[in-house]
Amino acid sequence: MSRQVVLPSNSYSYLPSSLHEHSLASLSYRTPQQQQLTLRSPELPASINFATSQTHHPSPNNSGMGYVQSEEELAELEKLSNEYRPVATGPLVGERQPSNNITAEYANADPVYRAKTAALPQKYSHYRTCRGDGHCGWRAIAFGYFENLARVGDALKFQEEETRLRSMGNILNAVGFDEELYEDFAGDTYDLLRKIAATIGTSDDGTVLFSSFNDEPLSLSIITYLKLLTSAWMQTRPDEYQPFLLGDDIREYCSRNIEPAVCEIDHVGVSVLADVLLKPAGFALEILYLDRSPGTEVTPHCMDPLDVNGIPFQNPPTIRLLYRPGHYDLLYKLEEVLAIPSHSLGTSVYLAHDAEDYTPISRYEDVLSVIPGMSLAASASNPMGWNYGALPLDYNSTPISAAPIATDPSYQSVHMPNPVHDFPSHHLAMEQPVNVVSSTIPIDRPGPFRPSAWELKTDFSNLNQAIPFQTSIFRNSHYNTAHFLNPDFQPEEWSPDSEYVTTNNKQRSKSSSQ
Amino acid sequence: MANRKRIVKELSDVTRSPPPGTRVQLLDESDVHIWEVLMDGPPESVYVGGHFKIKVTLPTDYPFKPPLLSFTTKIYHPNVSNDDKGSMCLGMLRSDEWKPANRISAAIEMARNLLIAPNADDAVEVSIADQFKNDRAEFEKIAKDWTKRYAGKA
Repeated sequence: MSRQVVLPSNSYSYLPSSLHEHSLASLSYRTPQQQQLTLRSPELPASINFATSQTHHPSPNNSGMGYVQSEEELAELEKLSNEYRPVATGPLVGERQPSNNITAEYANADPVYRAKTAALPQKYSHYRTCRGDGHCGWRAIAFGYFENLARVGDALKFQEEETRLRSMGNILNAVGFDEELYEDFAGDTYDLLRKIAATIGTSDDGTVLFSSFNDEPLSLSIITYLKLLTSAWMQTRPDEYQPFLLGDDIREYCSRNIEPAVCEIDHVGVSVLADVLLKPAGFALEILYLDRSPGTEVTPHCMDPLDVNGIPFQNPPTIRLLYRPGHYDLLYKLEEVLAIPSHSLGTSVYLAHDAEDYTPISRYEDVLSVIPGMSLAASASNPMGWNYGALPLDYNSTPISAAPIATDPSYQSVHMPNPVHDFPSHHLAMEQPVNVVSSTIPIDRPGPFRPSAWELKTDFSNLNQAIPFQTSIFRNSHYNTAHFLNPDFQPEEWSPDSEYVTTNNKQRSKSSSQ
Repeated sequence: MANRKRIVKELSDVTRSPPPGTRVQLLDESDVHIWEVLMDGPPESVYVGGHFKIKVTLPTDYPFKPPLLSFTTKIYHPNVSNDDKGSMCLGMLRSDEWKPANRISAAIEMARNLLIAPNADDAVEVSIADQFKNDRAEFEKIAKDWTKRYAGKA
């Protein structure tokens, strides 16, 4: 095509200019024009549609820029522009991919987008594209619903959901939908619920769901069912939703904005769909707006399920959508990606011992620091079989507190950089295992990551604070509260009970007698 | 074909109780995607006495795309394209207004209602629409003439 379509840059200025260099190429966005068509907002101003259809169907007597089109030609062009649909490519639902791809997409974009997309992967490590064919919002929520059911992994829950959805046949009938016509759409939805329920406990990792949603008729069928549900729910609750319609008749509104085959979900639709499909299932919906509003992070909008008493659920399974004006994709937090199946505790202990085999981590090494369960795994492994929890109890009777030491910055700057080797009690530590524990004060490292399972968890410092330092140098230091120069000076007391509990009682009793 | 069940269901309904003044059959018994509708000109319209054949083509992704209606019998009407296609595309038949829960019989009824009351504001033939609005007598004369000439025999 000789005449390239030139779109006004402001119409899709939220899009990055460097699309083709990055991940999107892998989604079979091949030519620059296709990229523009695929990725811009489906709701284009009419003028752009107009220009584009003109390019596709040049008028025969289009001899120059200055000519005046006849009324019929205008009508013809208007018809073409009304019928024009951008060619959407890519899978209906894409594979999950790291969200730094989004950051890369926006590398050359507006600073607001740069800042927001740079912060995005820290909270939401992965995303999944949905094809921008005018169904993406419906499809994203539908997919998220099934995916969260699968993640919950309870076959009973699937049955409950099917029963619940079937029971809504009465509202569909009540607003006049013909059962004969909607039963196919509903049936497809029930079938998928059953198919996915059957994969629970098998090695299926979402392939059934993924391939079902990439089967266009099936995907559309489920979307249609959800549209009908949304419409019926809305029409049977006019008091609740009428105020959002700015005076439109609710029946008319649903007929125009919810039910048509090609009709993207609008904000009212999203909230009704959350009310009818997600909240009763105990799922939350979180929509993260990526737009040019001021700020450094995507703007979240949450719709949380409430229990019978109107109290929000604690940490409900959540469907997260990334919303860029006119388009929805799915977002995931890292813990949702590395969803830990119920049997995995033993596995993570094993993984902590043999890090080389822990492939999920090596795949995401740049985000190691946020992996939940790493500390859990190591504490569960407890290589020496020590009972850390019991340690401070041994010292409970000792009034000495090391808390001032832990919080004294000057002390830390001198001794902390390499605590294991520089710590003055090194030689003592070799003889007295208990002091080894107290000498490995957590290193001040950002995040809960520990290079070795032999190192204590960071929150172990709370326990450590109760453990007094009893090295020859420390005992005489004014950092010791037993030293009269210490502002928190407190004389040590001799505790006869401790004599028979710890191995260093001799030393302790010696110091207390000073 | 996933939608075959639905189409067969609709076909059996519409053959059992067709909209008034119409008969529906398959153009080719082996293909449920192409229907032939025989529509008598409604008595209250200028097309009275005519017998019109309408071809209804169901796309492969029906019911997610609308059926295509085309008059194989030539007709003088602002909403029917005056060419060899004779296509009618407005209202629920537009792809952006079509609802998967619509029935084909509803589309046929809409076509019949348009014969009774043409929609000149959403016309495909602008000049016929102008005539319909501004010179009704001339419009009716031509429409009757065409009906006699092209839609006379059943």
